[in-house]
Amino acid sequence: MPSAMPPPSASDKADKSKTHKLALKGSSKTVVEFFDYACNTILFQRGVYPPEDFTTVKKYGLNMMTSCDDQVKAYIKKIMSQLSRWMQKAKISKLVIVVTSKETGEHVERWQFDVNVFQDPSKQTRSTTSGDKENSTPPQQQQQQPSPVSAKSDDDVQKEIQALFRQITASVTMLPMLDGNCTFNVLVYADADSEVPLEWGDSDAKEIRNAESVKLRSFSTNSHRIDTVVSYRLAD
Amino acid sequence: MATLSVATPLKCRDSIFSTRFAGGRAPLTPSPKTPRAQVVPQDAGVQTESIHHGNVNLMSRFSRSVSKTNVRDSPKSNIAGRPSRDSPRRLDLGISDFTLTGTGSRPSTASSAKNTPSRSRSGRAGSVHRTPKRPLSKVNYTAADRFIPNRTASEAISTSGAAVKLDNTEQTPGRRPKSSAPSDGSAVLAASAASAFDFGRPHSSSHDATATLSFEGLSLSDRNEDDDEDAPKTKASPNTVAYQQSVAEACGVSIKQRILAFKPAAPESSRPIDLRSQYNRPLKPAAASASQFRRRVLTAPERVLDAPGLVDDYYLNLLDWSSGNQVAIGLERNVYVWSAESGTVASLLECPADTYISSVKWSGDGAYVAAGLGTGEVQIWDVEDGTKLRSMYGHDTRVSVMGWNKHILSTGARSGLVYNHDVRIAQHKIAELVSHTSEVCGLEWRADGSQLATGGNDNLVSIWDARQLNAPKFQKTNHKAAIKALAWCPWQSNLLATGGGSHDRHIHFWNTTSGARVNSIDTGSQVTSLRWSLAYKELVSSSGFPDNSLSIWSYPTLVKNIEIPAHESRVLHSALSPDGQMLATAAADESLKFWKVFEKKAGMANLAGAGSAASTKGLTKATTIR
Repeated sequence: MPSAMPPPSASDKADKSKTHKLALKGSSKTVVEFFDYACNTILFQRGVYPPEDFTTVKKYGLNMMTSCDDQVKAYIKKIMSQLSRWMQKAKISKLVIVVTSKETGEHVERWQFDVNVFQDPSKQTRSTTSGDKENSTPPQQQQQQPSPVSAKSDDDVQKEIQALFRQITASVTMLPMLDGNCTFNVLVYADADSEVPLEWGDSDAKEIRNAESVKLRSFSTNSHRIDTVVSYRLAD
Repeated sequence: MATLSVATPLKCRDSIFSTRFAGGRAPLTPSPKTPRAQVVPQDAGVQTESIHHGNVNLMSRFSRSVSKTNVRDSPKSNIAGRPSRDSPRRLDLGISDFTLTGTGSRPSTASSAKNTPSRSRSGRAGSVHRTPKRPLSKVNYTAADRFIPNRTASEAISTSGAAVKLDNTEQTPGRRPKSSAPSDGSAVLAASAASAFDFGRPHSSSHDATATLSFEGLSLSDRNEDDDEDAPKTKASPNTVAYQQSVAEACGVSIKQRILAFKPAAPESSRPIDLRSQYNRPLKPAAASASQFRRRVLTAPERVLDAPGLVDDYYLNLLDWSSGNQVAIGLERNVYVWSAESGTVASLLECPADTYISSVKWSGDGAYVAAGLGTGEVQIWDVEDGTKLRSMYGHDTRVSVMGWNKHILSTGARSGLVYNHDVRIAQHKIAELVSHTSEVCGLEWRADGSQLATGGNDNLVSIWDARQLNAPKFQKTNHKAAIKALAWCPWQSNLLATGGGSHDRHIHFWNTTSGARVNSIDTGSQVTSLRWSLAYKELVSSSGFPDNSLSIWSYPTLVKNIEIPAHESRVLHSALSPDGQMLATAAADESLKFWKVFEKKAGMANLAGAGSAASTKGLTKATTIR
């Protein structure tokens, strides 16, 4: 039996790894794009930059605000380009946008996006099913197994992202008022073995003292799940 | 300007005083080189210099004429010709193509493939038990390097560090046959643990940095363990794992992670933001709507007529559009009247052979045309009858500009003098306005007749009070070249726009009550004429070298809405139709073009945006009376 199995499974594995690779790439792209818009949205909603610096762009079926200030655009673009490099290698576990008061230097708000990379689906299914189902029609088996995982259509993903953005936008009503004199930092929780370009340096977590956290919605693509948590300083 | 058409005899420039229609072309007939050429699918390479050029010739059978300008400069053809790689979508695709092909080595997936499924990917603090990993050929020396400078700091706490080191080395010999790299790793571990203990205290930011740094060292040694484990195939002692786990848990930090910050500071915000105002912001911010929902302007001429013999002289004013919807144009020695309603053309007058027409102006009611001559004579013609009513003498140099204010005709001459004539009485000269020292080429009465603005070749703008004509009310010397373009704002009676010549290129806006300059635009080219829109808060300027274009500016934002490449050589004159929608331009390329630059939407009143009902009423009244 084992001698009969290897050829199909080996070829299948090659296929799977290929599709997985593509899925990860595509998914990373979606996620990084999401981060880009999330960053812009937070900068706009939390008043880090004046509203006239932003223009509306139709995205996710919403009117998204994106900065049209050249400097800010370049800054975010630089972050996002590095982020997409890391994402494609699945090096990132968190992205954090920290809003800091310019006057006191205190961190006042912390938007954390947890990145969960799904395990290689082919790997997973094989290890779980190999025990008892080896005899049952391998080709169908292998095609059906990953399908529940990758069934999520692009449309569904967009809808989830849309819902999350609605929630981010809505959350300004419950978040404490910022004084409008804030700046922001972007943190990344990367694997220790990731390549780090010159602009990036080690940092502390920039946690907020006496913080309260609210978990927002999540969204998932075929290879990533993004959980969102916003923490903010409790009023003294 | 010799025409390049082969069909008609070449016309010589020096035949200004010849009598025949210049070049044998009938004036104000549809120009053979004029278009509807937008639809002509010509490749850009075809320069249609001659109408006998195959392609154009063919086309001219279908459309009445084909313009060279349009073939070359039409914005539409620009768009078509633009390489589509400019499109952002296309660019996007390019990127994704690249990412698909540009797959590098993927150590991370390789290693994750080796992980057992039980290992949680998110890396809870201290989840260190792993299956053997393939050694990564590139151990993070860079990370170690980063670490070194900080070690000295953490070595300060030596006692606990030493203890840990002892503890650690106790365990290593069993697992580590070779010692150089691992011992280094354990040293790192020791040092990091030292600072880690220190880190156990509540947050103090200076220590935070060292702590995270040293944990990077910790993870390095962890990786080294993996390397070693691969060879002997033994699991890490549960003690080690437990120890590392406890240390990591104590600090609340995952061993396999480092926190990276994007170091450059975020760009400064231009001003503090009051979030309160942001929460109840309007749905469409004003600035964004201005830029996004800009008015569309037709960029093709409605009609093109030939204007053979149009004298290429910046200082003359040879085109005017009456309130009766007739266009008068002076071509060398003749004045032609083209009826916009019927499209018919008639020669109104022909001046003596020793001179030429230097200016043309309709009276306010559209019944009379004043024609200024090179000799200084001013003739007034009844257009309906085609008869000359009178000649007025006084200037001894050419009359280059004129302006009507009811029965008063102001004439500006090359000498720099401006005379006011009452055309009803025999002793017609009622005032002499002395201010300019060189040729007067711009002259405009305010709509209510209470102020007069004149511009001259002496780079001077004079603003006169109609009741006080012995000296100008204001003299403005800001322009650095001759001022021909003058225009009074229709919705704000004390606002005057003036445009300067080649060396100046500016449009200045003046408050004529206070004399203050309120705005300026650098147009980048000679301003040959200015016209305010009656319906939009905009003005159009025509320009000479280098673009020969029409530019539409929003006021008071001074944003250029559009620039239309209009003519092949400099635009000399312009005139606005009585309804304010159409602009006629005459250029040195001897063509007269009509542009629907201020097209009105259905149900739109004049000065819709002006807000002042009184001025709107006044203006519509003025146009009907004239």
